[in-house]
Amino acid sequence: MSVIDYLIKKTTAAGNASQVVLMLDGQVEEAALRSCLGRLLNEFPLLQGKVARDYTLLPYWRIPSKYIENDLNLSVYHCEDLPPSKSALSLMEDGSNRPFKRENQHLAFHLVYTKNRQSWLAMTFDHRLLDARGAEAFIDLFQQYFVNNGNSMVTKDVCLTAPADLDNWKHKFSSGKTINRRLIALSKTSIRRLPVPDSDIKRGFKFHLICFDQKETKQIYENAYAQAGYLMEMPYLFATVTQIIHELFEKKGISGDSYMVPVSIDMRSAKDIKKELFFNYVSMFFFQIRVEFLKNRKILLKEIKRQMYEQVQLGIPAKLMEASALLRIAPLPILNRLFQLPVGGNIASFCCSNVGKSSYRFPDLMGTKIKNIFHMPRIPVPPGLGIFFNSFNGQLNAIITWLDGLLSDKEVDELKKNLINKL
Amino acid sequence: MDKATLQQIEEKLMQAVTDIMSLDKNTVTAQTPLPELGIDSLGLVEIFVFIENNFKLQLLESGLTREDIKTIHSLACYVHTRL
Repeated sequence: MSVIDYLIKKTTAAGNASQVVLMLDGQVEEAALRSCLGRLLNEFPLLQGKVARDYTLLPYWRIPSKYIENDLNLSVYHCEDLPPSKSALSLMEDGSNRPFKRENQHLAFHLVYTKNRQSWLAMTFDHRLLDARGAEAFIDLFQQYFVNNGNSMVTKDVCLTAPADLDNWKHKFSSGKTINRRLIALSKTSIRRLPVPDSDIKRGFKFHLICFDQKETKQIYENAYAQAGYLMEMPYLFATVTQIIHELFEKKGISGDSYMVPVSIDMRSAKDIKKELFFNYVSMFFFQIRVEFLKNRKILLKEIKRQMYEQVQLGIPAKLMEASALLRIAPLPILNRLFQLPVGGNIASFCCSNVGKSSYRFPDLMGTKIKNIFHMPRIPVPPGLGIFFNSFNGQLNAIITWLDGLLSDKEVDELKKNLINKL
Repeated sequence: MDKATLQQIEEKLMQAVTDIMSLDKNTVTAQTPLPELGIDSLGLVEIFVFIENNFKLQLLESGLTREDIKTIHSLACYVHTRL
């Protein structure tokens, strides 16, 4: 995670962060939010930690002996005061692209009071400290803390001693070897990717949100079960995304034999998330989709499921996590280069993931009903393009993320239309 | 080796699902619908891999219906008939 943070900071100013956004059917009170959230942050000095590397070269998360009390980075906006061009989503976009104020700050909050007495609350989070489901679980913890009037007991089950994972070296070397072989095998074909715009300016990310209501979501899942098989939502969503991105690449005249797509997956069960809330437990599947598979949805789905099965059988996601623990010993600039070597700098064609059902368990936040929850992730450049899914209360959300300048408004519009039509 | 009984298959699958999903054993029954146990596409593929490793049976693209994977019991029945 540190190397991805380093890589994204180099190309886009802010690091490997994401944002979880709650759309609320009412307005949460700023003073109550500020007070309760500030107190919750005080419960966890590790929130002000940072990656440290002493003489030993082994990086670890150093928790400060003295920490800043009430270190709450909360920005508040009133949509009535803003120009018409600024929507709630564009404010969230700005928040997502803003670097944290200090090296040891990893959370930022944004509260937007929208028209019709509604509001959006977003938490930008450093991916080294929280992954997507961990971030939802942190908001869930905040809600419990609020309901229990700031009682510290609600935080007692959170595990704060993540193991260093730097034992069992022989096993980790073996995992590293497997991953290395896999990456070399994947790099044998030419990978399609969009040319990253040349610029001295560090560009931010743009986001486009598509929300499906419960009825539409049910239909999408039925389509997935009919075409890909029961419970096979992820291969179905991924197949659809790959086909619409293929159409975009064809129109742009991007050539190559195949698409390489890292699909992130959470290695924890729903139960584990409550305990192992902090740090990142995401691993990846690597899919290589040859262009000829994209002509036929049935063949494409079969291929995606075959690759998924093969990677689970070989234990690739677990081995990737083990190997990345081993890789942490290398200094970041060297690791950054190593990271790009096997595929000649073409890390991926685009990114994709399905966070799945939300880890947030309540229907409200601070007494205000939640209409929806979605994520706005920043991604490595290249590829600088990703489509991500999550669901809340039986509603599926898709968010298209792209590096500013990588796609035109027309192209994004087309991606959106195709995604809606083909799901 | 004797063919495994339906009960043995069901017990093995219950244990596998409990381990894969990090569930409390007392919360898993053979009749609980798989989505209620939090099983998604990744979880299902992990179960299929477990079945291949333990029963030498490849279930991906084997024509399984929704009814066959509705619960641990129905999956155990499917495996049992295929052994």
